[in-house]
Amino acid sequence: MKGEKMIAGRPLARGWLRSNTTTIGPILAAVAIIAVFQVINPDFLSYNGLITLVYAMSYFLIAACGLTFVIMTGSFDFSVVSVLKLAALLSVLYVDRLGLWVVPLALLVSVGFGFINGLFVAKFKVPSFMATLGVSVVVEGIALYLSKGFLHVINNETFRALATTFIAGLPSIFYWAMGIWILSTFIALVTPFGRRIYAVGGNPISAGLSGINVAWYRIYVFMLSGLFAGLAGVLYMANWGGGSMELGADAAIPLFASVVAGGTALTGGVGGPHRTLLGVIIITWIQAGMFMLAVGRDIQVVTFGLIALVMSIATIDWRRITIIK
Amino acid sequence: MTTLARSRPITTAITQTLKTHPVILALIALFLLFSALYPERFLGPLNFSTILRQFVTLILFALGPSIVIVTGSLDLSYVGIYMLGSVLVWLLTPILGLVSIVVILHLEVATGFLIGVIQVKARIPSFILTLSLLVIYSGLTAYLAGGYPRSVKGYEFITATLIPNLPTAFLWSIPIIAAAVFIMKGTRIGTYLSAIGSNEEGARLAGINVDRYKILAFTLSGLFTGIGSIILFQHHGGSATVELNLNTMVWPLLAIVLGGTSLMGGSGGPQRTILGALTFTVVNRGLVLALLNPEAVQLLLGLLLIVSIVVSSRGLKGVTVT
Repeated sequence: MKGEKMIAGRPLARGWLRSNTTTIGPILAAVAIIAVFQVINPDFLSYNGLITLVYAMSYFLIAACGLTFVIMTGSFDFSVVSVLKLAALLSVLYVDRLGLWVVPLALLVSVGFGFINGLFVAKFKVPSFMATLGVSVVVEGIALYLSKGFLHVINNETFRALATTFIAGLPSIFYWAMGIWILSTFIALVTPFGRRIYAVGGNPISAGLSGINVAWYRIYVFMLSGLFAGLAGVLYMANWGGGSMELGADAAIPLFASVVAGGTALTGGVGGPHRTLLGVIIITWIQAGMFMLAVGRDIQVVTFGLIALVMSIATIDWRRITIIK
Repeated sequence: MTTLARSRPITTAITQTLKTHPVILALIALFLLFSALYPERFLGPLNFSTILRQFVTLILFALGPSIVIVTGSLDLSYVGIYMLGSVLVWLLTPILGLVSIVVILHLEVATGFLIGVIQVKARIPSFILTLSLLVIYSGLTAYLAGGYPRSVKGYEFITATLIPNLPTAFLWSIPIIAAAVFIMKGTRIGTYLSAIGSNEEGARLAGINVDRYKILAFTLSGLFTGIGSIILFQHHGGSATVELNLNTMVWPLLAIVLGGTSLMGGSGGPQRTILGALTFTVVNRGLVLALLNPEAVQLLLGLLLIVSIVVSSRGLKGVTVT
């Protein structure tokens, strides 16, 4: 918004283009990616192709929305993937005993870890990357302790129906993802809560001076991130009904890449969950396209690393005169 | 202070050291604890040799990054460079012969320099830059190796046993550690890097070419990781790994933080990392010898990581955290 005012004097079309490059860029990229893969494989945009994409991107979008809130405040949450994994594991381990009550349990645990993350960052002044890295090692440890490293499979039909019921030709996990996306966008753009998150990310000192409790807002965004990661984990389990929860240190990169590819800058205060939808589309569709072309997982990892790198450089707010460590 | 030092030099020196390196107390306490709990398992020569072997792995990975952390940045790329370097050795040995081990060194110095330049010019946070590079390199490694760990023969001379029960890699690491400590304590490079870590703007105003020294820090980190990787390559059995493990990435960081290098920069360095790596190895061995199951050991080490991170960032109120 700041940009639009500054360029108001220039010719309208050029000014509009300039002030919206971070919006237009991802849209063009998404269209280009779809076009390329459609040319290579005409089945890409068929009903079955789209359903596969919907499955791939739904849980991913939920987790990415949570991460977006954290990045909007200028912090980083490395633990999203680990929390997702733990929530998925909790639901598979306790669904037989607790039934659907396992969902609130998993979400509560996830929010708890989000709160711990936030506490370390906001109250103990630990750099967010290191704090969440530490928490994710503990979460991984708990997940390993609970699962004993085995593969677990879910048979509970009511639980699986959470994600696999088809409504109007689309699985319910898609509606969950869209619901979370709309909710996040609403929170970020309309509510005072969201505007304060932008303020904390834009300039924490002036946000504090204008009466926002910066520390608590940092804790809130980490709790939100934990909650969404947990929900993504539960729905992931409901959708796939099991799966090896083996995720390495590289699992956080596609998630992070999709947030920055949407146009949310690491410096905070810019972007938002509404943009993350585009980023998720770009990342998951590249992934799907590469699977289609039988490109190995190793090269996919390299691609996402490069996207993450290039997009973090491209979105960083150069006008800020801050010292970047 | 000076009179005290003259009258009772040794006691003062000891209290001073303990004040700046509180981890020594923890190390001694843990050592005594484990020796008392299971003397026959812990105090045997086999255990000492294992401790040294693990210590070498940890310290050779941690030396480079601890130089970067002094400037307040973070370098996570070490495992990735080690993996890519090893697989390049596997690829090149049939063509170039034994000389190809040097490729690790070139790769790592070049990567360190590249990271430094990107960090300084593009101004993106170093953790995400080095994390992305780590992931890119591990992907390339898996691609080049075809997805399988590859073993290379012919470099056994690097870790050939010289003294029984003493890992040769440990002997190698002594001059490397000494060189790192000398650079940080004996030359002005160390002073400048600490100055940049404690107050970058102040260092700039004092006339230090901050950008150049930051690039130098990353390049040095690459250099030390490079020399270390050559030894670790053979220390780990002369094979190129393709699996990126969260623990391999995190434990050297834990050693650095345990040693007392602040994540905010400005203090610490390789000399403290030695203590941190030793403490970590003793804790790890102690827990393993306690016959806990591996999952519980990982959980406890994770908790140790969190506690030490919190302690090392304590008392830094007013510093902007991102």
